[in-house]
Amino acid sequence: MCYIAGMATLIEAQALAKHYGAVIALDGVDFRIGDGVTGLLGPNGAGKSTAIKLFLGLIKPTSGSAQVLGGRPYESIEIRSRLGYMPEHDCLPPSLTASEFLTHMAQISGLPPAHARTRAADTLRHVGLDEERYRSIGEYSTGMKQRVKLAQALVHDPVMVLLDEPTAGLDPGGREEMLALVRRTGSEFGISIMLSSHLMGDVESTCDRIVVLEGGKVVEDADVSQLTQETETLYVEVDDRRDELLALLRGRGLEVGLDGTSIVIDNVVDADYDTVRDAVVDSGARLRRMAPQRHRLTEIFGR
Amino acid sequence: MAAQSRGELYDIGYRHYEGPREGRNRARYALWTNGVRTALGIGRGARAKILPILLFASISIPAAVFVMIASFAEGFGAGDFAGVPRHADYYDVVSILILLFSAIIAPELLCADRRSQVLQLYLVRPLTSADYVAGRWLSFFTIVLALVYSGQVVLFAGFTLSAEEPLEYVRENWLDVPRFLAAGAAIAAFTTTIPLAVSGFTNRRAYAAGFVIGLFIISAAVVGALTTCTDREVIVDNGEVIVDRCETLTGRWAKWIALGDFSSIPGVVSDMIFDEEPDSSDAARQVAELNDAIPVAWYLVLTAGPAGLLLWRYRREAG
Repeated sequence: MCYIAGMATLIEAQALAKHYGAVIALDGVDFRIGDGVTGLLGPNGAGKSTAIKLFLGLIKPTSGSAQVLGGRPYESIEIRSRLGYMPEHDCLPPSLTASEFLTHMAQISGLPPAHARTRAADTLRHVGLDEERYRSIGEYSTGMKQRVKLAQALVHDPVMVLLDEPTAGLDPGGREEMLALVRRTGSEFGISIMLSSHLMGDVESTCDRIVVLEGGKVVEDADVSQLTQETETLYVEVDDRRDELLALLRGRGLEVGLDGTSIVIDNVVDADYDTVRDAVVDSGARLRRMAPQRHRLTEIFGR
Repeated sequence: MAAQSRGELYDIGYRHYEGPREGRNRARYALWTNGVRTALGIGRGARAKILPILLFASISIPAAVFVMIASFAEGFGAGDFAGVPRHADYYDVVSILILLFSAIIAPELLCADRRSQVLQLYLVRPLTSADYVAGRWLSFFTIVLALVYSGQVVLFAGFTLSAEEPLEYVRENWLDVPRFLAAGAAIAAFTTTIPLAVSGFTNRRAYAAGFVIGLFIISAAVVGALTTCTDREVIVDNGEVIVDRCETLTGRWAKWIALGDFSSIPGVVSDMIFDEEPDSSDAARQVAELNDAIPVAWYLVLTAGPAGLLLWRYRREAG
């Protein structure tokens, strides 16, 4: 089987199971990943690394199948020439320049030398390493090394790239830059991404969709916007008559609570905004602030 | 005044690659060329070139010395080589030197990739673990082969030009060429495989080199002590050796124990290819008393065994 351009499903797990002796790393999971940026979320030991190894063709499933770009990478390694992988751990040779290293890795992905050199220069420019590309990687900062790691995953222009904890070891500034680069890779470069992370913030700020693994099973598989929208919360602050407003809102069927001085209304839908407006008018309270706040993934999965 | 040209800069953004993709064969070739460059220190600092230069010198100097001996040998003619070291002797000398340098240089090909964890990036590209091991092995094998062949070519050319009748020399000695090609390949395969196999189990080049050199030195010392002639009787009649008797500590087991001197095995096989009596050491002479099939089989075990071990090791690494 081979990759068909424009196909919707890039990665597909069908009853995918991987056992290491008595340890069940993946327990017959089913999910699909298409275009865009998808987060593979879960705590350590959830089965994320095993899933990545299966999709890269490094190991074979105990049962079921792991399909990537229409084929099984553990049966046909040529599929890997259209996949990119950025590991979590350090994986760069300190004595080489970024330019030399990327040129070599492009050739290892099957590109002829002249094309490999051009792609290496272009890719390093895209990840923001233009001037520095002739310096030895050993002299780079952690943030620059992360960029080289991402660049080597992109240098052969893959259809899909698998990123394993791309913000590991970065300070807050470096983390934001890396996440912005990941978003650009998905949106501007048009390369689909599967991002494995245990940090919900990373997934929330970059991914369109998430698959949550826990104990080798899929516990959630949905669009990020759908998950956060479904649990939208409205905060209302008034200068006076708070209790009257609270009673009116309860009387009109809303799930109302208090958070400090604010009235918190959970699971708000569009029509509820009109109800809240009318209740404020009817109660005679002076409205100071009314703002929606979407739940963060941490709140959803932290429950 | 001529109109000033106005250049404009455009950000053309990300462009997808639409050029050729040559897959696994390109990956194998790239790995091989990278291995050759790494081992020779090409594109690296001066320090990386010291050992390859010493290796080259250690192989070239004996060839130059042998040619000089031949050119000064009195009465050296087309069929008269008495006392002049020749192709098989050259391998006896350089096989030990190559073994030592291989032990130091070859591990860098595997250890560096393991230490920096670049190996993981290779194994997620269109390469199998066997492709990786074969590519690295071939890189170093090519270098050793090129070096020993170049030494032998220099020797052959030197002998030919030193002979009174060069054409006659070539006509009578052409068989040396396929012999040095075959023996060189046997030596290169042996000296490449063992250091690389050891390197598969450590991330430190120094540990691998130390282990291999220690293995050769200790095995040679122990076997040497057990197989050295404590009493030797040589009877020569009219310049011909008619009796050469050697008493050893281990008696009739000496020829088997001599197989334990790993460093002498490629030289023994080389001497067999040249159809000459092994005389590089007592151990080599003892091994020669065995049926020819035994040292050849032992050579194959010592080469194919570590190669298999290395492949197994990297197959596990990939998973």
